[in-house]
Amino acid sequence: MANHQLLDNITHKDIKVITAQHPQYGDNHSYARIVPSELKAAQADYPLFFRKNNETGQFEIIAMFGMAEQENLFLDDNGWHAHYLPLSVQRRPFLIGFQSSNDPATPEDKAVVHIDMDSPRISQTEGEPLFLEQGGQSPYLQHISAVLNALQQGWMHTQAFVETLQSLELMESVNLKAKLDNGENVELAGLYTIHEDKLRELSGEQVASLHKNGMLELIYMMDASLQNIARLIALKNKRLAAK
Amino acid sequence: MDKEIRKVVIVGGGSAGWLTCAVLAAEHCANSENGLQITLIESPDVKTIGVGEGTWPTMRGTLRKAGIRETDFFRECDASFKQGAKFAQWVTGAKDDAYYHPLVLPQGYSDINLVPFWTEHADKVSFADAVCFQSHLCEQGLAPKQNTTPEYAHVANYAYHLDAGKFSTFLQKHCTEKLGAVHILDHVEGVNSHDNGDIASLQTRQHGALQGDLFIDCTGFNALLLGKHFGIPFKSCKEVLFNDTALAVQVPYPDEQSAIASHTISTAQSAGWIWDIGLPTRRGVGHVYSSAHQSQDGAEQELRNYLSASIGKKANDLTLRKIDIQPGHREVFWHKNCVAVGLSAGFLEPLEASALVLVELSAAMISEQMPATRTVMDIVARRFNDKFRYRWDRIIDFLKLHYVLTKRTDSDYWLDNCRAETIPQELQSLLQLWRYQSPWHQDFTQIDEVFPSASYQYVLYGMGFHTQPGATQRRSANERLAQQHFAKNQEMTRKLLSGLPTNRELINKIINYGLQTI
Repeated sequence: MANHQLLDNITHKDIKVITAQHPQYGDNHSYARIVPSELKAAQADYPLFFRKNNETGQFEIIAMFGMAEQENLFLDDNGWHAHYLPLSVQRRPFLIGFQSSNDPATPEDKAVVHIDMDSPRISQTEGEPLFLEQGGQSPYLQHISAVLNALQQGWMHTQAFVETLQSLELMESVNLKAKLDNGENVELAGLYTIHEDKLRELSGEQVASLHKNGMLELIYMMDASLQNIARLIALKNKRLAAK
Repeated sequence: MDKEIRKVVIVGGGSAGWLTCAVLAAEHCANSENGLQITLIESPDVKTIGVGEGTWPTMRGTLRKAGIRETDFFRECDASFKQGAKFAQWVTGAKDDAYYHPLVLPQGYSDINLVPFWTEHADKVSFADAVCFQSHLCEQGLAPKQNTTPEYAHVANYAYHLDAGKFSTFLQKHCTEKLGAVHILDHVEGVNSHDNGDIASLQTRQHGALQGDLFIDCTGFNALLLGKHFGIPFKSCKEVLFNDTALAVQVPYPDEQSAIASHTISTAQSAGWIWDIGLPTRRGVGHVYSSAHQSQDGAEQELRNYLSASIGKKANDLTLRKIDIQPGHREVFWHKNCVAVGLSAGFLEPLEASALVLVELSAAMISEQMPATRTVMDIVARRFNDKFRYRWDRIIDFLKLHYVLTKRTDSDYWLDNCRAETIPQELQSLLQLWRYQSPWHQDFTQIDEVFPSASYQYVLYGMGFHTQPGATQRRSANERLAQQHFAKNQEMTRKLLSGLPTNRELINKIINYGLQTI
């Protein structure tokens, strides 16, 4: 399915990437992983949850776009209708790869940019170029590098955030249940949110510490984002009615 | 002499000592000033036995209550998942003769007894396969949960296999670093008594007299306090359970990613049986047999034959360790201000992994009923003794059940096992009763029964026991409900077979990533 290649300015000199959002480009995901630095922007549009990664069992933060597999209620043939587009959506079709270092001074694996050449976004004719005439990075590719970098930093930040929340027992599991206008019941399991009761019980000292390391804001962003569940259901009902 | 109980001294640093220590120290706040003071003294010379590599599902609750992370337990104790036991060659001795005793109860166990409905189809499907999905998971080497399932939670009920030596070290660290228990490495050279015969203190080589209000004897087969000091007699049950010798061996896997069985495999031999326990890094295998029926050479040969089936010629190079065992228990377990937990209380062959669970049950009752004063200690002691005599008897009955239903006649061992004079009276009565009705909730009277009636069902019908259909009709015998439960079991089996990782895959993930607590 995927054909990941290490990006370079010779092999991929003439490649362009289509940046528009459309179901035909594989954007119909029902959720995307996001990182703490995005919470403020993302909470204005999407419900945000913690969810366990299927592969590792570790918590990640997700923005939810739909209530069934392959359902993105923000996306239609005219594009993606929200103010904020998560970094992990923006980065497509690029991803971070690691290259083992040959330099004994810096033995850590080096993060490098990979591209999925099987992505429908890859084009020779339309979209954003990756490299300039002389071989330098295009503004678009510079932006992608910054996005990948922010994601890479963000995963580590997520871990620290989740560990802090768990040490204070501030996470709880929720089952999302909704009755749609057509009578259908939707139920989503495996989601976790901020434990509001425990949040209220924190001592002044604990709150101060969370404030100091910037996590208090993140907690309230996560919590506030749940207001968007009603919006998601409304979008779903609208789509059902249009059928 | 109505003295408050403030200080507990545990003697012995094996898994019994440290597990008891963890249970008491966690519940009784040993790390706070107002809590119980708990000291564990361990001789630097005495080697621990290290049996008991299988637990019961109760261990999950025991570890959780002691404040232990399941992820840490897996990483440090070489632990794996156990979903019950497979008994091979216990009935006829034929190659394909095997049945399961899973840990998940039969479908709908609180509502309906499926035995009479299964009996009609007994020639087509085994009892365990018909009423429970877990035997299917075991056959496929699957884990009882996913890596997104929180710590200690399950998809299919489970227990553990573990390295007992590593388990003791792990508990020791937890007890001393987190729970506030004091650890002393020293020899106990004598016992100093009060006028009433209670133990006042233990005379140690380097730490003087170690005083305490309650002493817990976890000194293994030595039974230093309850046996040697108090002279409480040992009650042998060798006339019921003949096995008195074990040959144990550690078996390497062919490679690091070999499958790990998610159940204990117990394979009957001519005068005993072989246990086979899969840990992540090795298998623990042993032959437990009756020295009256089998020579050591013969037992060794059978063990090596068994091993050669999986590891070929390497079976001849492995070193065996011989362990003498005395099946039975002390006449009382709690005497004056001393209570025995673990091998010092008694030992039975590890056929149903009863060793560690008895430690847990003992520690739990001591902890819950911790006497406030010396006067009420005698009341607690009497109740403790009544309860554990009952438990030992039921375990002995249940172990014997595995033998008496055999159809093997290939050795005196199996013939002798079926002689009426070797079968406890209570078990004989139940077997008579079960010819007309299958084991059910009222057969066992205690609230916290060691083996539920479901366990008896699995063994009875796994071994081909026949219960006659009732002569008269019962309203509760609802054919339609029964068929719903059989169908539900099939559906769950299908679902879980496709959704669960292998035992090895999940354990690798726990080691790499860890499980979440929620």
